[in-house]
Amino acid sequence: GKVPAGSILASAPSDRNLDAWRESGCRTTHCNLEVLQESTLVFLATKPHVLPGVLQEIRPAVGPHHVVVSMAAGVSLQTLQRLLPAGTKVLRLMANLPCVVQAGAMVFARGGCAGDGEAALLKSLLSSCGLCEEVPESYINIHTGLSGSGVAYVYLFAEALAEGAVKMGMPGGLANRIAAQTLLGAAKMLLETGEHPAKLRGEVCTPGGTTIHALHQLEKGALRATVMNAVEAATNRACDVAKD
Amino acid sequence: LQKIGVNFTVSNKDTVKSSDVLFLAVKPPIIPFILEEVGPDIEPRHIVVSCAAGVTISSIEKKLSAFCPTPKVIRCMTNTPVIVREGATVYATGTHADVEDGKLLEQLMASVGFCTEVEEDLIDAVTGLSGSGPAYAFTALDALADGGVKMGLPRRLAVRLGAQALLGAAKMLLESEQHPGQLKDNVCSPGGATIHALHFLESGGFRSLLINAVEASCIRTRELQHVADQEKISPAAIKKTLLDKVKQESPSLSVTSANKVSLFSSRSPSSKKN
Repeated sequence: GKVPAGSILASAPSDRNLDAWRESGCRTTHCNLEVLQESTLVFLATKPHVLPGVLQEIRPAVGPHHVVVSMAAGVSLQTLQRLLPAGTKVLRLMANLPCVVQAGAMVFARGGCAGDGEAALLKSLLSSCGLCEEVPESYINIHTGLSGSGVAYVYLFAEALAEGAVKMGMPGGLANRIAAQTLLGAAKMLLETGEHPAKLRGEVCTPGGTTIHALHQLEKGALRATVMNAVEAATNRACDVAKD
Repeated sequence: LQKIGVNFTVSNKDTVKSSDVLFLAVKPPIIPFILEEVGPDIEPRHIVVSCAAGVTISSIEKKLSAFCPTPKVIRCMTNTPVIVREGATVYATGTHADVEDGKLLEQLMASVGFCTEVEEDLIDAVTGLSGSGPAYAFTALDALADGGVKMGLPRRLAVRLGAQALLGAAKMLLESEQHPGQLKDNVCSPGGATIHALHFLESGGFRSLLINAVEASCIRTRELQHVADQEKISPAAIKKTLLDKVKQESPSLSVTSANKVSLFSSRSPSSKKN
């Protein structure tokens, strides 16, 4: 997006994940410390259980000029700040999968030493991948339940829509494409009109028509409560996992 | 009715002769017999307004056309809160009722709440929604009060607060441009009490229960209309059972007052007697 590929250095233990970076024109290395030496803004994108070890490794090379952004699920700002030198500017980021198609939803929270400048920088850079908002750290687990996992709920819904169409006689491939486009279109209308979803829903429902009949089925199945349950379950799980 | 100065008679004929607008407020199976009885006295000036659920304009016009070539018929559906001037009334005009006849009725009924014209084929749906609606609300209020009592409120206070909450919410909705969904959101602070409660409602399928209720009431109205059309009940049988019932309930009442026709004695809207 906003940064030339040549200015990006990616580090990983093996080449397995580095090929994709090289193909985009980024530089790569197997040495984490090199990243700290060459870069100001550092993203930590390891699995949560690996992170403490990596932090120990890079700690000597972290200075007051660095901006460290952790993407590890469940690792709190408190933990990050504890494992890095005092005064380090730390931020915590939670993204979701559609970042890879520049339609992601990301939230970040700043640690005690990260200021407006760092927050603005991060927001500006990440906005090229989708929606990016600063939040209090307590919202991060909720974001997981809503949007991190939420992507899977949408896939499930899309699959079910398509199956309904197949049952009624449409070929599967076509049904899948139309289901996806329907979700995309509805989401786009929500985002672009800024209208309340209930209002947009009402506008699709002609009296006695097909839509209201279908919605009644959804209400009978308590879809709303089920979805609320899902978000709650994922959020609670995120909290539990973070405690471990 | 007599207390507020309304003239009272036990003669349907007298009522028809001295009125211009006739409200037929009897039970649907009785309508055909009332129409037979008053038919001969119906004149072109009369506006016959039927409030009987499920009785179609065409069935009334058919019955009256034996006596009068162009009977003015209006069908209306109202609800019980007219008693407190917060009724919900709709009306549909028949073949020979003019626009001004409809407007007259609208003015009259607007004095006891909301009133608007609709296509006749929507009246069953209106019955399901606002006709039966007060019953849904009473049920909800009873239950809300139970909830209050469970959590420690005295019953009277619980009922009072529950009713005021619904009244206030309805008023907000009517006076606001906003969608009820938005108004709901405005009450739900993040992680707060209300959203927790709403989750319970959703889990119970609250919304679908209400949709089901409106649908059931509407469908039943249509079924009853179908039965009424068939006129399976014999005249003698009807009058006898009704007479028996009236005799049991209020022995002092004159028997003919079982057939009630409300009356408005003048055509001018200024003489609203409610």
